[in-house]
Amino acid sequence: MKFGLFYELQLPKSRDGDDWDADAERRIYDEMLEQVELADKVGFDYVFEVEHHFLEEYSHSSAPELMMAALSQRTRNIRLGHGIALTPPAYNHPARVAERAAALDILSGGRVELGTGESSSDMELGGFGVDRGLKKAMWEEATREIATMMCTVPYPGFEGEFFSMPPRNVIPKPVQQPHPPLWVAASRRETTMVAARLGIGSLGFGFETPDELGERAEEYWRLVREECYPIGHAINPALAVLSTFMMADTDEEARRRSANGPGFFSYSLGYYYNPLTGGRHQPGRRNVYRDYLDRQQAFAEAAEPTDEVQRALFRAAQGRTAIGTDDTVRANIKAYEDNHLDVLILVAQCGDRSHEHIMESIERFGANVLPEFRERHESEHRPWRRKQLAGVEHPVNSSI
Amino acid sequence: MASARLDKIVDDELKARLTQANEQLRAGKATEAVRGLADTFLWMLRTRPEMLDATVPLRAGRTMPLVMRWPALGANLSLASVRAREPQIEFVRDRFALSEAITYFEFALDTAIAQGF
Repeated sequence: MKFGLFYELQLPKSRDGDDWDADAERRIYDEMLEQVELADKVGFDYVFEVEHHFLEEYSHSSAPELMMAALSQRTRNIRLGHGIALTPPAYNHPARVAERAAALDILSGGRVELGTGESSSDMELGGFGVDRGLKKAMWEEATREIATMMCTVPYPGFEGEFFSMPPRNVIPKPVQQPHPPLWVAASRRETTMVAARLGIGSLGFGFETPDELGERAEEYWRLVREECYPIGHAINPALAVLSTFMMADTDEEARRRSANGPGFFSYSLGYYYNPLTGGRHQPGRRNVYRDYLDRQQAFAEAAEPTDEVQRALFRAAQGRTAIGTDDTVRANIKAYEDNHLDVLILVAQCGDRSHEHIMESIERFGANVLPEFRERHESEHRPWRRKQLAGVEHPVNSSI
Repeated sequence: MASARLDKIVDDELKARLTQANEQLRAGKATEAVRGLADTFLWMLRTRPEMLDATVPLRAGRTMPLVMRWPALGANLSLASVRAREPQIEFVRDRFALSEAITYFEFALDTAIAQGF
């Protein structure tokens, strides 16, 4: 199993403040740079950063390609993941996604992971004029063409349902050919199976349990072997799962340091993605953190929902997997390894957690937990993956 | 090859319907698959009308009707028809992408297994 860090660039307001201090956004950008530099040094394999727009407090990461460009010059090995880039054409013209990913691949020496997706918040869909009912079809059409743009000379042009362009040579071309590994954001099981049938990685935002993961992995790999019709020109069979993350000398201290991070992450995600709340968000006026503090008790006491997306929010708030001591975290994530997870992506920067505690956790994880998993990744997981892929004729471009 | 998950379906008619949809996905016939799956979901609701009353727990004690989780990707379940207990699916588009058809297929299959068909 490999490990990544995940960034929304969260920036909650203070309870009593109606705005951030003037330095706040610069501070969290600087902190992310420091955290990922450290993660690179201690052996983390991936960093994934979201693309979100207008989701105040929840995510101030609207131009991840710029952060990734900066990171490409400050890191040596860590792979730089879009987690994800929004590909419906109204957000980003497909040629611009292809150009930016290729340029980043050059700058980073071939370290790009191209996660793709649609988002479903009213703030973003409405802000860019994306029809909710068409966004999946838009995603598919654009993602297929982005992959083709990166490896054809010239790109032959396209007359589609959602965008069209004449023949052009889309340049530069990425270092990784035919294109960087492709992923899709999957907050529901159904989308993980879409990923399998289209031959791309599933960035699981469902906070799945190890048992759920095991069942999904079995079906995912069966579909990759038997029913895969690749959207790209090489497949990236891979399953990733998110977990909130904080480590310390004792479980109690880790939970204390975890602070309101998982709770706010969950609340603000649910707030923006629920049309009844996110659709009525008052830009520039609302204090989502204050809402969360006022309502956290109601959410804390609720039972686990069965609806998959709601359940993910509930579990995100619980922070059960990777919050604790070395032993606690090691034992919990071993259960994912046993169920053949490829990448565990850790959410450290969220809510009102401190930069210092996040840095300590990254250092501790790299020193005390990561090495044994890395060893078994090479000795056990890679051979297991080779068996899963036996007989698959599609070319593979995967960093797992 | 048949999916192990399809083999969990006991009801022969439903299994045949979902197997046909899977074949359509394999053939890249996304629109045909969606139309067939919409018909299949309505068949499930007619066969087990109690599904119309089932709810799914959300957070903070709220619930939503199970049937309204049917994906709204262009083959949309009409809320008014559910309330009238005569569920209908309205097609607001005449062409579907493969990813949409897969989503409908997986939803129908998951629901069928969960409902013990």
